[in-house]
Amino acid sequence: MKGKQGFVLILLIIIPVFISGCWDSIELNKLSIISGLGWDVDADTGQVTLTFQSIIPSETKGAAGSSGDGGQKRGNPLHTIQLDSSTGSSAYDALNRYSQHSSRRTFYQHTQLYILGRSAAEQGIYPFLDSIARNPINRPNVLMVVSEKKARDILSIQDGMESIQAMGMAAEIKLSAEYSQYPVVTYLEFAQRLLSETTAPLAPMVGIIEQAGPEGVRVKKTRINGTAVFKGDKMIGHLNEEESRGLLWAINKIKKGFVIIPGANLEIVTAKSKIIPELQDEKIKITIAIDEESNLLEYDGHREISSDLLQDLEKGQAREIERQVMAAVEKSQALNADVFGFGDTVHRKYKKEWPVLKARWEDIYPYIEVVVKVKTHVNEIGEINKALMRD
Amino acid sequence: MSLENGKISSFQLSVLIIGFIFGASVIIAPGQGAGHDAWMAIALGLTEGLLIAWIFTALARHFKGKTLVEINSLVYGKILGNFISVLFIWYLFHLGALVLNNYSRFLELELYPATPKTLTLILIMLVCASSVRRGIEVLARCSLILVTLTILMAIFDTLLVVPHMDLHNLLPILDIPIGKLLWTSHATAIFPFGDAVAFLMVLAFVNKPEKGRSAVFKGVLIAGLVLIGVAVRNAAVLGQMNAIYTYPTYITAQVIDVGDVLTRVEVLVAINLITMGFFKISVAYYGAVLGLAQVFNLRSYRPIILPIGILMVILALTNVSNTAEMFDFANNGYPIYTIPFQIAIPLITLLVAKLRKLPQIGGDQA
Repeated sequence: MKGKQGFVLILLIIIPVFISGCWDSIELNKLSIISGLGWDVDADTGQVTLTFQSIIPSETKGAAGSSGDGGQKRGNPLHTIQLDSSTGSSAYDALNRYSQHSSRRTFYQHTQLYILGRSAAEQGIYPFLDSIARNPINRPNVLMVVSEKKARDILSIQDGMESIQAMGMAAEIKLSAEYSQYPVVTYLEFAQRLLSETTAPLAPMVGIIEQAGPEGVRVKKTRINGTAVFKGDKMIGHLNEEESRGLLWAINKIKKGFVIIPGANLEIVTAKSKIIPELQDEKIKITIAIDEESNLLEYDGHREISSDLLQDLEKGQAREIERQVMAAVEKSQALNADVFGFGDTVHRKYKKEWPVLKARWEDIYPYIEVVVKVKTHVNEIGEINKALMRD
Repeated sequence: MSLENGKISSFQLSVLIIGFIFGASVIIAPGQGAGHDAWMAIALGLTEGLLIAWIFTALARHFKGKTLVEINSLVYGKILGNFISVLFIWYLFHLGALVLNNYSRFLELELYPATPKTLTLILIMLVCASSVRRGIEVLARCSLILVTLTILMAIFDTLLVVPHMDLHNLLPILDIPIGKLLWTSHATAIFPFGDAVAFLMVLAFVNKPEKGRSAVFKGVLIAGLVLIGVAVRNAAVLGQMNAIYTYPTYITAQVIDVGDVLTRVEVLVAINLITMGFFKISVAYYGAVLGLAQVFNLRSYRPIILPIGILMVILALTNVSNTAEMFDFANNGYPIYTIPFQIAIPLITLLVAKLRKLPQIGGDQA
């Protein structure tokens, strides 16, 4: 019994030495927390430039405390974030070079955005995607964004109310998706589309605009202004605002938002859509069935609000939605990029015929007949039920 | 007289089998080779797994209250029987080392990149050694708590990830060549279901031996159904990426994001692995230690616990040099390598016993 007690005592002394945690912990002030990661590739040399937007934790706290004197901060826009770039022959080469000249360890667990420079996206981003997926410190729900110019340019702009620009932009993208303007695309969704045999990957595209700021200074701001369309890992074009909306209608990603028709503005309450493929004599016909309900927000006609009028509004609305979807269809057929995932729906329904169709998909896609069927319903008309003005 | 005096109930046996099957399969997705048809591969594999379970429980029913080592020496005689037993013990030993290997690889990649593998292995091995030392009863008792927790966590993860699911990802059904599906389902039958053959060393200690088979079936079936659910969930969330990621269940948990607040719950999956892996390692470890003690007629199996454990850690550190090799072996080698142990040894032993008209043992024991 004595021996056993002694053994337990020795164990109690030895075990804590090995399992006491945090022997390799790194304190917050030794970390460089990356909020946004930019990827640019030099078209001539193929050199990769990574841009790191890191958060300076002590500064974010200071900024929040002194929000009252915003004027003072404006002179120094990058007060809470630090921007740094490094160039190398590959993603990890650039990363290692950055680590060597950085005073802090990089920490990716809170990265909000991966920003791909346009020219890098056009050259192919496979090396970037691979280096992200392979490394366990990266998470699958980071947002993907394509920058109209260089990724670094976007990351260097201090926009709006957020002290950490990448977080602000992530919020902006999520909000624009909530208002059904542009798609929000996570790394996982991008990769899923890339792995599909025919579907084209997408990412929202961000550009830079200039606005008149206080004291006549021109202020740069970031704006989402399109949807980048990829074929494989290469960007081949983009959809504009209207086409992006049309895309969202077709792929069932409409949540909130507005439909504007001549004389009236309607707020979307619910929207559902379905892509139904049909195969007849080797010809593919796609029906996009959209079911939409909305409330009347503004109406500047003088007619009394009657059920006839609402039917007119419903028809007008259906026409508008159809126009948007067809705009997206035409653009995607011109690009020959299956942004809607028509190929996948055909694959699901016609498994046997798919291998043949898949091989010829490039030739088939631009000539697919697409029919849009929209059913709309106006639910509510607001607090008044007559026109404010008489004819 | 007996090396193990503990008794477990048939209910405890079922739960222990669930924990054992979850072992490494909570992170290494079975049936991954079948892409989005993984659930079907698991369903077919489950059928074959039940068949394997039927064979080895038939053997256990013929010789109630005997472990495989004792059965072998009854059926084949001392020398040949012990030889076959040693082969089977090697399988258990190797199984434990493989699970340890998965375990340390996962933890090193996802959770403890700076901690040496040896340390994680030694720590888990100490826990397993302690539970083996205390016998099967203790292991069975703690399985009830931990398996319940694991299933609850799996349900919790699944509920939270519902908004990210797209059931279209499961279509079209049966999208891979039938040969590949059958191979994958056979691989699934072997790992994780067939590995339950290790319970030939445990079935002897069920207090009502005649209920052993139904307990094994229940355990395998419940574990299989949970794994099918998990496979459906992973494919619905990850789509095509399901086949790309090494640990899809872990990534699926990473996707969870409830209002930007409830995120980063993937560590629950890691906890599941740590607890369930403990059962798989412990049962294999226990079987190997007990079997070896019986082969060499030791009075107690306790003195060889630590030596075997140390050897297991060493094998785990050296037998597979990288994850690619591990998956290559798991997908292509393991389903064939284990056939002698999981199917041939129990089946042939049973047939020889019937041919030699050996009497059933322990029929009247309560």
